[in-house]
Parts: sequence; C-alpha cells; structure tokens
Amino acid sequence: MSITAGIDVGSTYTKAIILDEKREVLGRDIRPTGFKLTEVSRATYRQALDNAGLTEDDVDYVIATGIGRHQVDFKDIHVTDLTASARGSTLLFPKTLTVLDVGGQTMKASRLDSEAKVRSFRLNDKCAAGTGAFLEKTARYMGFETTEIGPLAATSKEPVPISGVCAVFAESEVINHLSMGTPPSDIMQGSIQSLVERSVQLMKRVKAEPEYTLIGGILRFDTMANAVRKQLDAEVNVPDKDTVQFVAALGAALLGQRRLEKLREEKSTAADVA
Amino acid sequence: MVSDKHEELVGRGNREGAQLFRDWFGELSHTAETGGQAAYVFVMGSLNEILKTFDLPVVFPEINSLQTAVRRVAHEYLAEAEDYGYSPDICGYVKADFAMLQRGGDHPMGQVPKPSIAVLTNACNTYIKWAEIWERMFEIPVVTIDIPGTREADGQTWSGHVDFDNDRRYVEAQLRELITTCEEVTGKKFDIDKLREVLHHANGISVGWKKVLELNKTRPSLFNALTDGTIFLGVANGFRGTATGSAYFERLVEEMEYKAEHGIGTLTEELYRLIFVGVPCYPIFRRFNEMFTEWGGTFIHSTYLWFASGGTNRGFEYDTARPIESLAEGVLISVRDAMDSMFHQDRVLADMIEGYHVDGIIYHPIKSCRTVSTGLADARRYLSKHHDVPSLFIESDMMDRRVVSEAQMKNRIDAFFEGLASRRQQATIG
Repeated sequence: MSITAGIDVGSTYTKAIILDEKREVLGRDIRPTGFKLTEVSRATYRQALDNAGLTEDDVDYVIATGIGRHQVDFKDIHVTDLTASARGSTLLFPKTLTVLDVGGQTMKASRLDSEAKVRSFRLNDKCAAGTGAFLEKTARYMGFETTEIGPLAATSKEPVPISGVCAVFAESEVINHLSMGTPPSDIMQGSIQSLVERSVQLMKRVKAEPEYTLIGGILRFDTMANAVRKQLDAEVNVPDKDTVQFVAALGAALLGQRRLEKLREEKSTAADVA
Repeated sequence: MVSDKHEELVGRGNREGAQLFRDWFGELSHTAETGGQAAYVFVMGSLNEILKTFDLPVVFPEINSLQTAVRRVAHEYLAEAEDYGYSPDICGYVKADFAMLQRGGDHPMGQVPKPSIAVLTNACNTYIKWAEIWERMFEIPVVTIDIPGTREADGQTWSGHVDFDNDRRYVEAQLRELITTCEEVTGKKFDIDKLREVLHHANGISVGWKKVLELNKTRPSLFNALTDGTIFLGVANGFRGTATGSAYFERLVEEMEYKAEHGIGTLTEELYRLIFVGVPCYPIFRRFNEMFTEWGGTFIHSTYLWFASGGTNRGFEYDTARPIESLAEGVLISVRDAMDSMFHQDRVLADMIEGYHVDGIIYHPIKSCRTVSTGLADARRYLSKHHDVPSLFIESDMMDRRVVSEAQMKNRIDAFFEGLASRRQQATIG
C-alpha cells in the first residue's frame, strides 16, 4: 500500500494529512505555525502519523506546500498552495472550476481547467485587510475569541461598511465605529462583507465559473460562505468544518499519490522495454 | 431682516455654478446621444480656446472621475478597471475614466460622448499615457502640447528674455499644428475672428477668477476654497472661452464684493484661516471639510485652485490683436504656473501668509497622484524653516475610499487644532 503525506505550512496554521492510495485520510494534525517552521512541520507530521498509527518509514512520498514549504526538510518535493488547493478541492468536489482560498495572510482565487490544473489565479493586494488575520484581529480588538466570529456576526442587524484596504486603516475604522456606539456584531458582519467583496472581486478577475469551492480557515464560519453565495447569487461548495483548513494538505498528499503512480508507470514501461 | 439683494447675491455663485454643471453634462449627454464630436482635454492646459473656436464640446475626464467619488460610486468604477487588470496603485482618475468608457460612457451625471480628438499638455506625466489609452480605444488623433517648465525654482523668465521668447515660439508652433488637426477633425476652416471672441471671453474668466481669489483676503473669508472653490473651478474649466463663463465670473465677483462689504463669512465664527495644498479628498468631500469647520477652521485658499485651473489664477489677459501669439504666451505662463503650483508653491505660499492672515497650512498628499504629492514634504520643510506657520500633513486619496481613513485623519486634525489653540493662548498670555 502506498502512503503519502501532504504538509501545508501556512502563515497561521500548519496542517498535515496522511493519505493512502484509495484516497482515504489515515491521519492528520493541525497546529499554529509560529516562527520555527521546520520544527512545527516535523511536529505536525509526526502527530498526524501517530494518529494514523504509522511511522515515517511507512510513508513513501512527502509533498510540502504553503508559504513555509521550503523549510520542510523531510519533503520529497514541494508545490505551491494554489496547485495543492486545486487538487484537494477537486478531490472533494470533482466539478470544481473555481477555488477561493481565504487564509490567514493571503486570499487566492484560482480558475481551474477540467483536469484540476490552475489556468489562472489572482492573489490579494499587498495588505492584509482582505484576509482572515484581519477578521481575527477585529474580533480580538472587540474582546471576542476567533471562535465567536461566526455567532457574533450572525446577530448583526445593520452591518457598517469597512472600506480600508490596509489592515491598519481598517482597524482605525473599527475603532471609529466603536467610539460611535456601533454594536460589535454590526462591525464584525461589516468586516466579513468587506472581505467577501474583495473575494468576489478576485473571483471575477479569474473569470470564475461554477462550481465554486471555498476553502481556508475563515470558511469555518457559515456567515462567510453565506455572504459569498449572496454576492455571487450562486451555490458554493464548502468542505465540512473539520476539513476546510486541510484542503491544501490533502491536495499535496493526493499529488504525492499521483507522483507515485507515475513513477510506477515509468518503472513498468522501462521494465517492458528491457 | 435679510434684504432682497442679500437673498439674491449670497450663495448665487454656488447655485448658478451647480446649474451650469448640470447644463454642461446635459449638453454632453445630448452630444453622446446624437453621435456628435467632442474633444477630451485636461484641466492643466485644456486649450479650450482653440477647441471652442471649432465648436467642439469639451470633456474633462478628470472632472468626470472626481464626480464619481463625490457621488460615492467611484469604488464601482475602480473595481471594474482593476477587474480588467489595472493595478490598485494606478491613478484613480484614469481607472474611473477607463471603466466609464468600458460602460459606453455611462456616468452618474449623464452620458459622456466618445472623443474625436484628445488634447493634452505635459503638465502631468500620466496625461500622456492616459491619452494613449484613448488613442488605442477610439483611434483618434492625440495632440500633446509640450510646455517648457520653469528651469529652476524662482527662475521664471518673461517676455523679452531670450528663453521666454524661444519658449513662446515653440508653443505657438505647436498651437498652429493643433489648429490644423482641428480643421482636419471637424472639417471646418479656422476662423481667427472667432478665436478673438473666445479669447475675449476667456479674459473675463481669468480676470474674475484672480479677483475672486484675492477677495478672500477679507476677514471673515467670503468663500471656502475647498468646497465653494471647487464649484467655481469647475465653471472656470468647463466654460472657459464662453460668454456664459465670463458672465458667471463677473456675477461671482459682484457676490464676493457684496459679502466683503457686509462682512458675510462662510462660518458663524471664523477662528482659523487655513490654506489647503494638494488635491481634495473627494470620497469624503463634505466630511473632510467638516473636520476643519467643526474647529472654526476654514480654507481661505487652495493650491488646487491654481494648478487645476491650469494657471488661470494668474489672471493672464490675451491680446486679441495678436491672438495666436498671445494665446501661446498665455498658455506658456499659465501652464508653467500650474506646474510650479505643484512643485514650487512654497514661495508663493510664504508670500501669502501675512496678506491672507494664514493660521495654518494643510498638506494633503494622495496615493493616486505622485505628480502633485512628490514635492509636498520638501515644500513643507522649506516653509517650516523660513516661516513660523503651523502645518499638518494628512494623506488619503482623491478617489479611492479604501485608502481614506477618516478616523486616523480626524485624530491628526484634532491634534493640529489643539496645537493651534494652545499656540494662540500662549501668544495671548505673552
């Protein structure tokens, strides 16, 4: 049996997936990335293996992805998270043609071809106001935990506009709204809507077509996916809450399986020729 | 009791200016609907004098774009241009104009006609690339008038100086080429007597504009250079060379003189007289001004009214006896002054501090426009070094609300006024 691992070293969280050749997830782990990328990628990998009841010797191929992929010193190869997310998304939703990935520090929209290859992509502008980190910061500033973002926004009655493209400027707007007595729920929902506007704009730029698949940590909150549905006026795929952060790692592990299959084919062809 | 004359005069410039603006856009919409010809021009050297001689309606894309921001829809146009592929860092005026043209000229104030010709100067480097977009989109002739700028700070030359006379001849030759191109585009023969008439009307605007700006030395100030001034500026640009524009400024001078005579100011209590340097913050145009008026501060002057009127503030009067030569001289002096207003405005501001009773200078660099923003830090340092006048540096944009942080701006403005108040208190104590 072929076992592969996908390690996604994101700016906020590091994720690992252990996959077998039947595309079954055998184990996984997630933990904050911090600033020691090599150590955290190794720790996440080992924990995922433990969860699967396996050891490093059982793994045939490791593919690293994410912004910290170059720091994974036990990888066989690395791929960008755009490629990995495309593969992961189409494994979960085979008819996916557009992927929106809202991560901690970046937001990415990709248009795929029918073979899950990235045809075009766009990333957010230089600043972080269009990312998950901004939402988390906004929540924290108002005294709420990240896990409370969804429930808080769900109680909003009159969302306020947050237009700043820069996270610092946007934070000033939040402070201004608070000083004017705006309820935190309306500020939170306004921040989410601002994020959604930017997301949909990115999707338009890649000439998005259905099916749309949304991934990334922010999609843990239903309110985000609902707002995107509303803006696009179309249905969107969202992996279940446990999986939504693992899609790139899953895609990397899947690419590992493909790579092994290709290597086996090449070996078999070479044997035939011999 | 308020007299009939008071009722008639006070605020007339704003009322009539707004109506003229609507009329102007109405005519442009008519031109668009009937497929008539139009010229695309810029505020710094519109060459309206020649275009009006050929009866070409003028479209100012800069004005169209800023109107989308004032009407709070600029973000829609900017997003469309960025969807097309323009970077967020590119001039917001260009992007809004491009998106509007992609929409077939659909503008919140009406329908903008397609260009038959574009005329520009080198006063802004973006003008050149902007016009090239139209050249490709509409396959129209683009005429760029290269205006020699000031060689060094305080180094302007005047008629009789060899450099100036050479420069004037250089501009005149280009104007003659423009006339030839206009003849080709319109199929009309150039009429020099009509040019004389247009120049005569343009003189009315120049003289009136200069007078209006000078009248704001009065205490309390007669108009707010940021808000009211922008309305006057729009008329000065759009109606340059017309009898309507000339009459408007004559009546505006009358209004301002009446207000000066009767001590009618823009604020109930004018506490601080300020000069604005840069381009206004159109996405929150009214609110921006309120952040100053709440403290009793009013803008008595603005460098925007200089460069965005193409230097008309100088009050240059054309000699209709030698129209083309004089037009070249006027364009050279005025556009050169507009360029200097962006880079060498510090000397002129320094001269105004006393006469206009200036309490502070507000510098407003903007993300969209490096041309007007680049020299502001140096200009501010020069003034601070040589003159005891407080100044404030606040950054935002003329179009893009994503880079306008009202909360941060207000904090700085409040701190600035607290400083002004404390300074005044100390001066009183001695």
